Amino acid sequence: MVAFAERRPLGDNAKAWALNAPAIAVIALLVAYPIGYSFYVSLQKNNLKRPRAKRFIGFDNYKALLSDQAFLSALKVSALFVLVVLGLTVVLALILALVLNERFRGRGLLLSLALLPWAMPGVVNGLMWRTIFDAKTGALNGLLQQLGLIESYHAWLTSGTGAFLFTALAQVWNTLPFSVIILLAGLSTIPSELYDAATVDRAGAWRRFTEVTVPWLLHPLLIVLILETMNAFRAFDTIYVLTGGGPGDATTTIALLDVQTVLTFTDFGLGSAYAWVITAITLLISVGYIGLLYRKGNFEV
Amino acid sequence: MSTDVRIPLSYRIPWKKIVLYVLAVGFALYLVLPFYWIVAMSFMHEVDAISVPPHWVPTHPTLENYLGFVRPNAAQELVGGRAVSETPYSLRNSLVVATATAVLNLALATFAAYSFSRLKFRGSQVLLVLYLLTRMVPGIAIIIPFYLLMRSFGLLDTYLALILSYTTFALPITIWILKDFFRSVPRELEEAARVDRCGWFRTMWTVFLPVAAPGLVAAAVFAFMTAWNEFMFALFLTSTKAAKTIPVVAANFATDFNTQFTVMAAAGVLAVVPPLLLALLFQRKLVQGMAAGSVKG
Amino acid sequence: MELTRRHILKLTGLGLAGPTLLSACSNDSSSGGGSGDGSVKFEGWDYEAALVQQNLDRFTKNSNVKVNYTPITSAQYVQKVVAEFTGGGGADALYVYDDSLAAWVEGDYLQPLDGMAGVDEVYNAIYPGNAQAMTYDGKRYGLPYYTDATCLTYNAGILAQAGISKPPASLEELEAQALKIKKAGLLEYPIGLPAQLSDTWWSWVWALLFGSGGNMFDDQQNPIMNTSDTVTKDVFAWLQQAATKSKVIDPASLQLLPVPVDNAMKANRYAYTIGARYASRDYNDPAKSKAAGKIRMGLVPSLDGKEHGTVSNTRMYGLAKDTEVKDNAFKLLTYLGGYDDQKQPYTAKFWFLQRGLGFAYKAMVNDPTITAALKKFADPKIYTHLAEIAKPRNVLGVPWYTEFETEMHKVVQGVLSNQTQPSAAVAALAKSAETLKKKYS
Repeated sequence: MVAFAERRPLGDNAKAWALNAPAIAVIALLVAYPIGYSFYVSLQKNNLKRPRAKRFIGFDNYKALLSDQAFLSALKVSALFVLVVLGLTVVLALILALVLNERFRGRGLLLSLALLPWAMPGVVNGLMWRTIFDAKTGALNGLLQQLGLIESYHAWLTSGTGAFLFTALAQVWNTLPFSVIILLAGLSTIPSELYDAATVDRAGAWRRFTEVTVPWLLHPLLIVLILETMNAFRAFDTIYVLTGGGPGDATTTIALLDVQTVLTFTDFGLGSAYAWVITAITLLISVGYIGLLYRKGNFEV
Repeated sequence: MSTDVRIPLSYRIPWKKIVLYVLAVGFALYLVLPFYWIVAMSFMHEVDAISVPPHWVPTHPTLENYLGFVRPNAAQELVGGRAVSETPYSLRNSLVVATATAVLNLALATFAAYSFSRLKFRGSQVLLVLYLLTRMVPGIAIIIPFYLLMRSFGLLDTYLALILSYTTFALPITIWILKDFFRSVPRELEEAARVDRCGWFRTMWTVFLPVAAPGLVAAAVFAFMTAWNEFMFALFLTSTKAAKTIPVVAANFATDFNTQFTVMAAAGVLAVVPPLLLALLFQRKLVQGMAAGSVKG
Repeated sequence: MELTRRHILKLTGLGLAGPTLLSACSNDSSSGGGSGDGSVKFEGWDYEAALVQQNLDRFTKNSNVKVNYTPITSAQYVQKVVAEFTGGGGADALYVYDDSLAAWVEGDYLQPLDGMAGVDEVYNAIYPGNAQAMTYDGKRYGLPYYTDATCLTYNAGILAQAGISKPPASLEELEAQALKIKKAGLLEYPIGLPAQLSDTWWSWVWALLFGSGGNMFDDQQNPIMNTSDTVTKDVFAWLQQAATKSKVIDPASLQLLPVPVDNAMKANRYAYTIGARYASRDYNDPAKSKAAGKIRMGLVPSLDGKEHGTVSNTRMYGLAKDTEVKDNAFKLLTYLGGYDDQKQPYTAKFWFLQRGLGFAYKAMVNDPTITAALKKFADPKIYTHLAEIAKPRNVLGVPWYTEFETEMHKVVQGVLSNQTQPSAAVAALAKSAETLKKKYS
């Protein structure tokens, strides 16, 4: 066994890079090239079915985005989608995590149930919700009718707003567990002395929540925000199966448009430009979150 | 990390229990009902599954939908029976790919995460962000170059292509999960081992990693789920039952001619069971393992 | 810079993996078809893959040519083929949609078949619409796999219950009949159309336009739906009226893919739909359908009640440009899409008898076995007549066709859900065609 930590033949710097080498090698070998290549392609007029028309056009693809109706509409839909999905996910996950952090009968069962949606591939999630929202035989229609809330079956996914909201709900259901685990984990590390102190101060439940729980949860919340923003921006599987982007453009998110542009229209150049815009936005938002928390003196990577 | 981290009950107010139970039941229904519906459908005959109003419990329960997967004859009777006959293979493929991804991920991420949690080195912050940056580029941007790359390696329609791609997808996040957890492992442990003149690898293996087990479990489950759930790369990189994973076959159900709801539901249930079992098996460690996210450095 | 397989190899070789990999990769068996024994790499979408294999086995037995058949998920067929050819090494012979033909010729995937043995003979024996769909820039690129013409499909049983004895000739009549069915309490929404967004074309929209003698484009592929040709606007107005005023078109259409519409027809839940002829075979199959025996075919109703035509599609077998086994691949093509030794289109017959897939060969309808099989699900006279009056979309040759079709789906969804007025809809379509044209010039 090599004792390279012990004899310190390497400085921390060298050792750290050596430890990272395998991960870097795999990433560099497999995704660094495609990532770099896709940026290069984003500077091209490059539709795969017209190889002869291919040429380098600098940032023209990006400039064209400003007047690209499909892109602007998809960006709007995506922004709204991220907002709704993220908002619902964070609120629901936080409440569920707070519940799970208590002691009660059936807690173990609830935790198990909370993991359930995580195990469901996005495609299967889309199929499941499709059978539930189905206009003719769907469970949602059946349930609401039996409860007397609707008179006849509705085609839920045929109005723009309806399709958007139901798609967002299906997405939230699928992405909830990961956030719950992270937040619950965060809650479980709050030292009980903090609550004890707050109780001695006769702080109410709400103040205990805002003064003890929330600050302590900032770091896990940050992780949830970053990951879920990334996920919501890239959400594809569920929407694709559920609505295909319709009706009209109502659920055509930027990720969906991007897939359509690259795969259906084979416009690799423009599609790559879309992708880099998504990357830039996600990065900016992440940096924004980090900056916000950093100012609160609560962040360290 | 201390194991006893339950919150004291001292600040409970009388009606709190009620709120708690109402919320718990509400969430339980929200989480389980959608899945219950496809489980119920998977045991129904098609006629019952599409009846109006719906039968909430299978009135004439049947195993036909599941048996069709293993009885090739039954599968062929259905138009579009290919997705049906491929389902068992795709489950096997998904299991192999996801397990291998989890293992490979752990091997690579442990080293990297250790460096972030224990060593001060130049460029560490940049490197961490760079890792994460590779996850911010949407998959669609790299799918074509990646496909061509795999093709030139001769890896199309193999497990390896999927394992490699999912490893790179999960790696940035697992490194983050692990580095946070590793930080919560007291340094004294390793120092004590070092005094005992254990080598670094031995220290890692016998002292550090066992203590870090919850973090490793969380990272492994995360990697497993990433691999299990991924659709688009699997769609592109595989073409036969030799490597098609369950999301790809599930998507076939959506587009196939004439698929029955009930068979689709049965496939959906099968797609959920293995990762669910895994998550349930490790649920305690999972929560502990993610806990480090909140540890202040 | 060309993105070819060689180029990728160079990049991987130089930049990433060192020269040994380069030599290892050049033996990559997935490239081309040349594994040395003359076997043909053949790809198609995964419709009835087991039957395809069965038919290919017969070919191999007869000709000693091995075939390596890969079925590809139909929903991603086009994308995967494009990716493969972009990587330099697709199949030797493959299925081609008429929608993709132009792009695949422009992309140098396919080679023309002009002058090869038996090709002229085939083109003389098929319906002109099919020949036209397989021809690009004056050259012939395919042998026919199957074809279909879009028709009105109706449930004569439901019509009879409402006291209707004749299918509608005009759209007005269709709406009136549907209203009658609705008022009789037989069906809430008598008309169902597959109008969820998807990657496949919406034949029913084109059929309604061609059925009324209209078109969206002139012969130079200029958009005319907003100028000289008012049919599109009028058809849209009818659709909106039927969907939102008289409410005879099911609002759920917007979330229906073709399969659920088929299921609804089989369950007597729609009285009318507009779709491919071959669907009637399943609709009229007692083993699969409660509506069996009651489903009939009719001409697509028109605005003025006169007969104008309908739309056809053509699926063909194509020959890869860079195949290394051209002779064997063409032998396979001939077996699948051409005549056999007995001067019979064996595979075309096979598909019709097995699955009711439409045939391009005019003479086949006179074949007694074919007629007998056809009579089980359709009136041979109407069936044949539809094939005769059907024509392909005249914009298949433009490179932006796919984008336009997608845009059209969204616009029609807007019309059906009353969010876009017909005049705004045609204006949007014209604008989108112009924009796409400019983008691709």
